[in-house]
Amino acid sequence: MLSAKRNISRLSKILLITGFGYFFWLMLKITLEYIPFNPNVSFLMIKQTEVEQKPEYLYFFYTHVYTSIFILLSGFLAILRKDFGVKNFHKNMGKIYIFLILILAAPSGIYMGFFANGGILSKVSFVILGILWWCSTFKAYRLALQRKFKDHKQWMWRSFAFTLSAITLRMWKVIIVYLFHPDPMDVYQIIAWAGWVPNILIIEYLITKKQI
Amino acid sequence: MKIVNYTLISLLTVSLASCKKEGKTNESGKDSLTAKKDSVIIPEIHKEYYGIYTGEFFGAEKMIDETDGSEYEGGTYKKISLKINRITKDSVYGQSIVSGNQRPFRGIFNETSGSFILDEPGNDKTDGRFEVKLKGDSLTGKWNAFNKTAVKAPAKDLKLVKKEFVYNPNFMLDKDSNLVDWSNPKEFVEKYTDDTGKTESYTTSKNRVASEAIFKLNASKQKLTEKDLKNLRKLDLEIIKNSVFARHGYSFKKETYRNFFEQTDWYIPVSNNVDHDLSPLEKENVALLSRFTKYAEDKYDSFGR
Repeated sequence: MLSAKRNISRLSKILLITGFGYFFWLMLKITLEYIPFNPNVSFLMIKQTEVEQKPEYLYFFYTHVYTSIFILLSGFLAILRKDFGVKNFHKNMGKIYIFLILILAAPSGIYMGFFANGGILSKVSFVILGILWWCSTFKAYRLALQRKFKDHKQWMWRSFAFTLSAITLRMWKVIIVYLFHPDPMDVYQIIAWAGWVPNILIIEYLITKKQI
Repeated sequence: MKIVNYTLISLLTVSLASCKKEGKTNESGKDSLTAKKDSVIIPEIHKEYYGIYTGEFFGAEKMIDETDGSEYEGGTYKKISLKINRITKDSVYGQSIVSGNQRPFRGIFNETSGSFILDEPGNDKTDGRFEVKLKGDSLTGKWNAFNKTAVKAPAKDLKLVKKEFVYNPNFMLDKDSNLVDWSNPKEFVEKYTDDTGKTESYTTSKNRVASEAIFKLNASKQKLTEKDLKNLRKLDLEIIKNSVFARHGYSFKKETYRNFFEQTDWYIPVSNNVDHDLSPLEKENVALLSRFTKYAEDKYDSFGR
């Protein structure tokens, strides 16, 4: 009985890891669209107004794109809470994750939120998301320094829920377009919120009910 | 004898010079077929008939039934323009243009009956002979392919009216135009469950529909911004872009655009290349629209933004 349970949990772990691996691969491909440097490809194709009128926009954009892929990876590796025989592996992965978010990815994300596609509805969503992302990560960092590891773990789950919105937002987009074929910016307004609100609700549920 | 020759040559040069000046107004730079050799000596007649005749080009076409593969006769309807560039005593020069296929022709004009016999060069499988009759402003008659087996509809009729082609940036699609793109149906599988609980799937198709935006955004007059275009679908972007080309008389190869623009009374296809006629504003807008079209194509339904 006990071994069956262990098998199930092992199976779900494997599923989770392959699932993440698959979406990480998709995200990596999106990131690689911006290499070599070209200010008029992919998402930037419809962002030339900002690129031309705001000289700082591209700096923030590339900061966000190039750091985010490392955040996804380091965050995932840290959340496994194993050192894999490498000394301080969890701690170092966590440090990479935290500092990339606090110094680079979250501030640049908040900046870009002000110029988001889809009008005021999506702008508000992305700015809030950026602020919550920064705050939850900062809180988790402080709790780790204070050696309050249970709280640290919970706040890291929150932080990672916001991090994963990069993936869930794009998943929702594919699903919504497949089902309803709405106009492009209508999709964008929906996914701006659908990308992170359900994520954090699920994590809050798990924290209160399941005591993870 | 020599002196006579010399005077004749000098006379010819004089007439050539005057002839060229007049000719220029009738021959636009695009016309590839402007017989240079003959124009020197032979005087032009009936300049009043020069111009663009545009209208219907229709006939029976062999169709193949998709379900059982049997052949049946269907109708084909296209818009055609004949340009008469030059008429001399024994030759007529001009060109025909149908769905982006621009062909020169050469033939004869019978003054007494007012009829033309015009031959396309014959080195293209779609070439053939026009036999048309002029009556007032209308030009009617028939066309027969040289190679009857190479084309689906080897015999067609023409009903044309002389029209002045003018570029006008204000031309827009009519507000009551049909917005459905009938020529690009997208197939998809649908499932249904019958009373007995059996589920069957069948393939059906959906047509793209343009939005009202195509009546509002004029890429020949206003500088379009990214904001104007962000919420538009690919079809809208394509129509707004190709409205620019339609205003310049571009003859579309794609059926989608022909169907949209042939609904208007201002669209006269006169050329298969109008790139050099675009205004700087139009060029800018076309580049922007192309970029958004590509984005819509690459990103609309993909994993990404």
